Amino acid sequence: MTTDTINSNKTAWKGYEKFAFRLLFIYFFLQAVPLDWKYYQQLFSIDWSHLSYGAIFDLAHYEPRWSSGPPAYSDWVILLAISLVGAFIWTAVDARGGGRVSSYDNLYYWLRVIVRYRLAIGMIAYGFIKLFPLQSPYPSISNLNTNYGDFTRWKLFSLSLGVVPSYESFLGGVEIIGGLLLFYRRSASVGAFIIAIFLGNVFMSNLAYGGGDDVYSLYLVSVALFVLSYDAQRLINLLLLQKPAAPNSYHPVFRANGRYVRLALKTAFIFFFVILYGFKTGSGYEKDPYQFPVTKGLPGAAGIYNVSQFLVGKDTIAYSKTDSTRWQDVVFEKWATLSIRSNRPVVLDSDNVERPELSSEERTYELEGSAGRHYYRYTVDTVDRMLTLQNKNPHYSDEKWVLHYDRPGGSRIILSGVTTGKDSVYAVLDRVDKKYLLEEARKKGRQGGISL
Amino acid sequence: MSTTTAVTATSWSNGQKIAFRIAFIFFISLAIPNSVEWYDTVIHIDWTRLNYRDLYDIARFGSGINIFGDHLFGSTLLGYANWIITFFISIAGGLIWTLIMRRRGTERKEYNTLYYWLRVVVRYRAGIGIIGFGFTKLLPVQMPYPGLGLLNTNFGDMTAQKIFWLSVGIVPWYQVFAGVVESVAGTLLFFRKTTTLGAILLIGALGDIVYVNFAYDGGVHVYSSYFVLLAAFLLVDDLPKVYNLLIRERYTVPVNFYPSFSALWLQVTRIGLKSLTIFLFLGVLFYLQLVNFLYDPYKQPAVAGVRTLRGNYAVTEFRLNNKVIPYSPLDSLGWHEVEFENWSSLSFTVNKPTPLDLSNGGGDPQQDVNRTFEITGVAGGRRVFHYYADTVDKVLYLEDKYKAIPDRRNRAAGMGGDGYQAAAGDKAGGRRKGRRQGGDDNGTTKAGISGGDTAQGPAATYTSGVEKTPKEGKGKNWIPATALAHIGKEVDKIDPRAASTRRDREYAVAKWEKRNRMVLRYDTIDNGNRVILSGVNEKNDSVYIVLDRIDKNFVLTESSLQAGKY
Repeated sequence: MTTDTINSNKTAWKGYEKFAFRLLFIYFFLQAVPLDWKYYQQLFSIDWSHLSYGAIFDLAHYEPRWSSGPPAYSDWVILLAISLVGAFIWTAVDARGGGRVSSYDNLYYWLRVIVRYRLAIGMIAYGFIKLFPLQSPYPSISNLNTNYGDFTRWKLFSLSLGVVPSYESFLGGVEIIGGLLLFYRRSASVGAFIIAIFLGNVFMSNLAYGGGDDVYSLYLVSVALFVLSYDAQRLINLLLLQKPAAPNSYHPVFRANGRYVRLALKTAFIFFFVILYGFKTGSGYEKDPYQFPVTKGLPGAAGIYNVSQFLVGKDTIAYSKTDSTRWQDVVFEKWATLSIRSNRPVVLDSDNVERPELSSEERTYELEGSAGRHYYRYTVDTVDRMLTLQNKNPHYSDEKWVLHYDRPGGSRIILSGVTTGKDSVYAVLDRVDKKYLLEEARKKGRQGGISL
Repeated sequence: MSTTTAVTATSWSNGQKIAFRIAFIFFISLAIPNSVEWYDTVIHIDWTRLNYRDLYDIARFGSGINIFGDHLFGSTLLGYANWIITFFISIAGGLIWTLIMRRRGTERKEYNTLYYWLRVVVRYRAGIGIIGFGFTKLLPVQMPYPGLGLLNTNFGDMTAQKIFWLSVGIVPWYQVFAGVVESVAGTLLFFRKTTTLGAILLIGALGDIVYVNFAYDGGVHVYSSYFVLLAAFLLVDDLPKVYNLLIRERYTVPVNFYPSFSALWLQVTRIGLKSLTIFLFLGVLFYLQLVNFLYDPYKQPAVAGVRTLRGNYAVTEFRLNNKVIPYSPLDSLGWHEVEFENWSSLSFTVNKPTPLDLSNGGGDPQQDVNRTFEITGVAGGRRVFHYYADTVDKVLYLEDKYKAIPDRRNRAAGMGGDGYQAAAGDKAGGRRKGRRQGGDDNGTTKAGISGGDTAQGPAATYTSGVEKTPKEGKGKNWIPATALAHIGKEVDKIDPRAASTRRDREYAVAKWEKRNRMVLRYDTIDNGNRVILSGVNEKNDSVYIVLDRIDKNFVLTESSLQAGKY
């Protein structure tokens, strides 16, 4: 801190104001400044030569945690308790020293800087993965061929956003603009207001749809409200009570060097969390959207297939929607996943955490929150014409089998092999030239007569 | 009330005065209903037996000057042409007004009082409009929860508009939250001090909805932009103040002018009108909307289905003209699966292309057969038939909910309300089959037929409320008189608390229309776990279908908030 004469003749703070400030200072400092050892563990495990946007995303996603598992409000309660204790100690120390400190304007300014920047990078981290529609990608072929009722609410939310990339980009833009406004002291409250409203909706959506981000979004809302509270009284005076309002009168004073140091730090920070991150996210969107695997599948096989013939052992099983072994249709994705619809029950993978850092094999977004289909990643042996399948659902991680494939030409694939249950299976797949109303209506508009 | 300090009554610059005159003409034009239908509807409201739609229709109307039509350079510019035309006329009017003032030497120094009243008009127009909208979310009926038919439809077999509507329909409590936001925004506009906050909420919520409508092709972009425009007008004074205070960090003195209401009759009138508005649009409308949610959700059929015919059914056997058709996804004759909804609808899928209704399936139809949310915007071979159940003889009389020539919807809403849009030269016969229907509260405009609900069809009249034997005559009576007597009158088949004149009137003029029809006898075994349907389908083929109820165990669990009483 610096001594300054500009602000020194401000009014003294009252006793309860000082105590409240001490409490909030400790609380928000602990929330925003990384002190949790797990964060540094993550930081040092980053491969800086191959820095991915996922890594930067995680760095911007700091949350101090005592509990394990999904984030919980109990972590906040512990922090509050610590802050309360700390505030009492601080008050005692101050009283012991004769109560010299009359105002915390200076410290308040610096606290606000910390939380403004913390909030900004938190928003911008999510903003860019929406601006480049990565967070909710366009539904996969398997998703398009799953019954509406076989999805969880959170998955339907994500799919419904995925079909409109332009809207997703708009939402990302709002988050980024809100974040950028926080980097400048004078526009901080405007940014905080926009963010508070935006995130308030995010919080309610998370509660309603069962997304995993309710704690984190509410935390960011609390930070935004704290940033806004600095100007709350004057805005209420101006807009609600319609009285004259006095502007902020505290201006930080920097010594000559301090100005340059500040500028350098600010630039570096913004460069890393905005420019570099934005650039990497953009190229990630082009080359490697993080929700779906990137390994290419069987060439030219992408599509949905009707299972025209199906044998288990020696028995031909006729078409059936109720038989639990009969395959109803098979989807080959553009990437190396195939999914099979049948009446076999599915224990849901209900993971809903945002993980931009996963490797291609670990990406399970396509089946999270979905039933009705079983999803397999496969590797292709083009010499022997074999597909080695592995069920992607963590509840069926033991399910591995090998299928021989034949492509007699046209759009037919013949699969044969032995399932994990030791039954031999033989399936003839014929690709269906399926037209999706989602796409037909988009192309032709809803005005023309469409028959499907 | 009192005026503020003498600082206020300053003189306005010439530019400000001209701008005000233009704005005055523009916003008054936009705040007044411009369609004859609206006036016709409102005059005929029966205030003793109200339906929520009566008050909703008052609040939702198109506006703007449309005597020169709604097209600019031959196109409606996505529906915004009307605003642009109105704007040009306002400019012309404003300039003429200025000229007249100058000529007559009666130039004024300021328009503080008139500006205040203009803002009052805009505030109340926006307030009641958004509350009408908001209440259909607060009591969540605007986006219905998907029925069994929709739950069994593939995600890719829906339009983007349908996907968006359902994405809110599946979370009724979130819809309630959205309704709270909209209703609160509207209520805040009724009071001076909270107008700014209300306008900010309004612009935020509706700005997002405009974008959503463009992204999902939702069809209500004009009406949502309308609220953004009104809210922006209300904020135009406040934003410079906020900028001055926060960004420029200057001492800011807000200057607001309020006329004095010292005379007693003025005070009484003001408080009386304000109270009446609040009573009607917050009190009465809330009650009517609650009744609608509980007994007659406006996008869902209201009449309960047969008790034993409920749920998801697998087709165990399907015979067409006495020939068994084994199940195959490629076959185009057999039914693949069947759902009996809680209400009186039968839904099934057939692998055969069928013309689709891609409208929003909302609006104001009172008859169950016209509540098309369950068929609009979906493909995948889904068919939905509305049924009349003769529970004595156990026969279902089914009508296809799909109609080749669509109804007009939202007649009172007009162009600016994203309701019916009258395009020049539209006639009933000129419509192509399968054309999308006219608008919904969230639907797009589309020229419907210029007449009423009638289409070519048999002359038999199904009247409600009056005991009448159906007329013989042209077209056959597809439901025999004995069956009609067993079925009863559909208009009466809802909770009496939801009865309204609007519903009675629509049923009274309802006629049988040209639709696909089926007559199926139903036999239930084991409390509806097995159902056998036998009869005649829409192509006059005889069908015999054995259905077994299955437990689908949808991942999507039911909500605790359910509309309708079945």
